[in-house]
Amino acid sequence: MTHKPPVDPSVDHVRVLIEEFTRSGIATLHLRAGSFELLLSNDPAAPTLAGAPAAPAPVAVPVPVAAAAVAPAPVAAPAASPAPAAVSSSVPDGAVVITAPNLGTFYRAPKPGAAAYVEIGGKVGPDDEICLIEVMKLFTAVKAGQAGTIVAVLAEDGAMVEAGQPLFALVAD
Amino acid sequence: MAIKRLFIANRGEIALRIVRAAQTLDIETVVAVSDADRDSAAARQADRAVVLGPAQAAKSYLDPRLVVHAAKASGCDGLHPGYGFLSERAILPTLCAANGIAFVGPEPDVIDGLGDKIQARAMARAAGVPLVPGCDEVKTAADARREGDRIGYPVLLKAAAGGGGRGMVIANNGDEAEAGFHRASAEAVAAFGDGTLFMERFVPEARHVEVQLMGDGKGGVVHFGERDCSVQRRYQKLIEEAPCAAMPDHLRQQLHQSACALAASVNYRNAGTCEFLFDVKRQEFYFIEVNARIQVEHPVSEMIAGFDLVQEQLRIAGGAGLSVTQDQVKLSGHAIECRINAEDTARDFMPSPGRITRWSPPAGEGIRLDSHMSEGAMIPPYYDSMIGKLIVHAETREAAIDRLDAALADFTVEGIATTIGLHREIINHADFRANRIHTRWLEQVLLAERKGAAA
Repeated sequence: MTHKPPVDPSVDHVRVLIEEFTRSGIATLHLRAGSFELLLSNDPAAPTLAGAPAAPAPVAVPVPVAAAAVAPAPVAAPAASPAPAAVSSSVPDGAVVITAPNLGTFYRAPKPGAAAYVEIGGKVGPDDEICLIEVMKLFTAVKAGQAGTIVAVLAEDGAMVEAGQPLFALVAD
Repeated sequence: MAIKRLFIANRGEIALRIVRAAQTLDIETVVAVSDADRDSAAARQADRAVVLGPAQAAKSYLDPRLVVHAAKASGCDGLHPGYGFLSERAILPTLCAANGIAFVGPEPDVIDGLGDKIQARAMARAAGVPLVPGCDEVKTAADARREGDRIGYPVLLKAAAGGGGRGMVIANNGDEAEAGFHRASAEAVAAFGDGTLFMERFVPEARHVEVQLMGDGKGGVVHFGERDCSVQRRYQKLIEEAPCAAMPDHLRQQLHQSACALAASVNYRNAGTCEFLFDVKRQEFYFIEVNARIQVEHPVSEMIAGFDLVQEQLRIAGGAGLSVTQDQVKLSGHAIECRINAEDTARDFMPSPGRITRWSPPAGEGIRLDSHMSEGAMIPPYYDSMIGKLIVHAETREAAIDRLDAALADFTVEGIATTIGLHREIINHADFRANRIHTRWLEQVLLAERKGAAA
C-alpha cells in the first residue's frame, strides 16, 4: 500500500504541501518519493491512488484535497472565499481523520444527557461506535474504522455536519 | 410570507438558474451538492453550498429526509426542487410542511393525484379535457370490430391486464381488428390469464404539444402559451419550440382552455405543464399527463412571453398571488431550444463525461444559454448528460432557425462529445424547416438516414 500515512516526509510537510497546493490553483499534484505517494486534486472525480480507501471510510491525512475542498461557509459569506482546509490545524501529527458519511446532525452521545461515546484520549476498536449522525430522527452510528486513540474532536456536538466533514482525529495503534 | 432563504435541492444548469432567480429577488441561497458537485457553478454562485452525501444520487439528491434536514439545519424557509430527482415526489412537500418550509411546487395530494395515470385521466375527463378515444373492455372479436369502427382506425389493441409490448396489435380496419383481437387475446391469456383487451386510437404521426401553466393554488391559473416538443429520441426531448407553429389558432385556444380548466379544477399551485398528443391529420389533441414542476424547456415560453417563470414560482411559494392576469401575458415571436448533451451521437448517444478543455459559447441578440459549464469544468459520470440549453428567439420560426444555426455553428466545445452537430443537422433538414415532423421523425427519418449514410 503506497498511500500509507508517511513516516517521512512528516505530516507537517504534507500540511504545508496542501496549503501551497490550495493557494497555487494547480488542478492536480501527484508526488512520489520512495515508498511515499501523494495525490492532491481539486477534481472530485480524479482517479484516486490505487488501493486508496473509498469514502466514507476513515481517510489518512494525505487525502486528495478534493475530499475536503469546500468547507461550510456561513450563509451570506462570499462563497468564493478560500475554504479553510478541512484537515484542521488541531489534527496532531500522524493522526487519521474520521469524516461524516453524509450530512446530518452530529451527536457525541447515544441520547441527551448520556455520556459521550468517546472522549479525547479514549481507546477505540475498529467496530466501536463513536458518534451518531441524525437525519430526520433517523440515527446512524459512525464507527471508528480502525483501532487507535481519539486525539481530537473536530465537530461541535449537536451541530449540522456535511458529508466529508472531519469529526474526529485518531492515532492508529 | 416571502421566502428569505431558499434551499435548492437540485444540480446542474437548473440549480444555477434557480440561484440566479432567487438572487434577483434578494433571496439568500443554499444549494445542496453531492460530493461530486462541491465545485459546481451553482455551489460557487450561491451564498452557501452544503454537502449532502456521496456522489450517488440515492445517497444525496434522491434522499428526501436528508434534503429537508439540510434545508432546515441551514435555516432555509423555502425549498425549490428543480426538475427530476425529488421534484414530483409528494414526500418532499410533506416533509417541508412538517418542518415549516415553503415548498416551491404544488400540494402533495395534487402531486400524487396527477402522478397517478388513472387518477389523472379521471381528473382530465371531469374537467372536460379530451382523452384519446378508446374502450377499456374489448371481450370478443365482434366487440373489436364495433369499437374499432366507432373509434376510427388505426387502433391499438393491448392486454387490459398487463403493460409492456406483449399482446399489442395495430389494426387498420375492421377485418384486422377481428384478426388482431384473436391474436392479441390469445397472447394476453397466455401471459396474464385474461384475454380482455383494451383499445385506443393509434396516432402514427403525432406531435407532442404542452401548455405552460402557473396556478395560485386557489383556482387562479394563467398560461404562457404552448410548446412543441416533437423532436424526440426514445421519448427524450431534444428540441423544443414555442409556439407550436403547426397548430391553427382555434385549436390553440381550445388547447390552452383545456389545460387551464384542468389545473383550475385541482386548485393547482405553482408552475406546471399539461402535455398533449396532437393528431395533425385529424386536427385533434388528447391529454397525456400533467408535469407538476418546472420543466427543462421552460425557457422557450419565457422567451416568447418575456416573463421569468422561476421568479414567479418563488413569489407564489412565498404566498403572493399571480403577478399577471391572462390579458397581460403577451406572446410574441418564435423561440427554439436545443438540449446540448455530453453524448457521442456516432456511438449510439453514449454519454461522454469528462473535462471540458474548451468552452466557447455563442452570444448575441436573441441568444440565451442556460448552462453550468465553463472551460475546465468536469462532467461527472453519475448524473444525466445535459450540459446546457441553447435558446434563441426571433420574429418568425424561419428567422429563429437561422439564428439557431448560426449560434450552433459558433458554439465550440472541446474535450467531450456533444450533440451540437446533430442539432445543426436536425434544424437544417428539409422536414424540420418545413415543419413536417412528428415524435418518431428523428428516429425513423433523420437517424435512419444517418445510419444509411454511414453504412
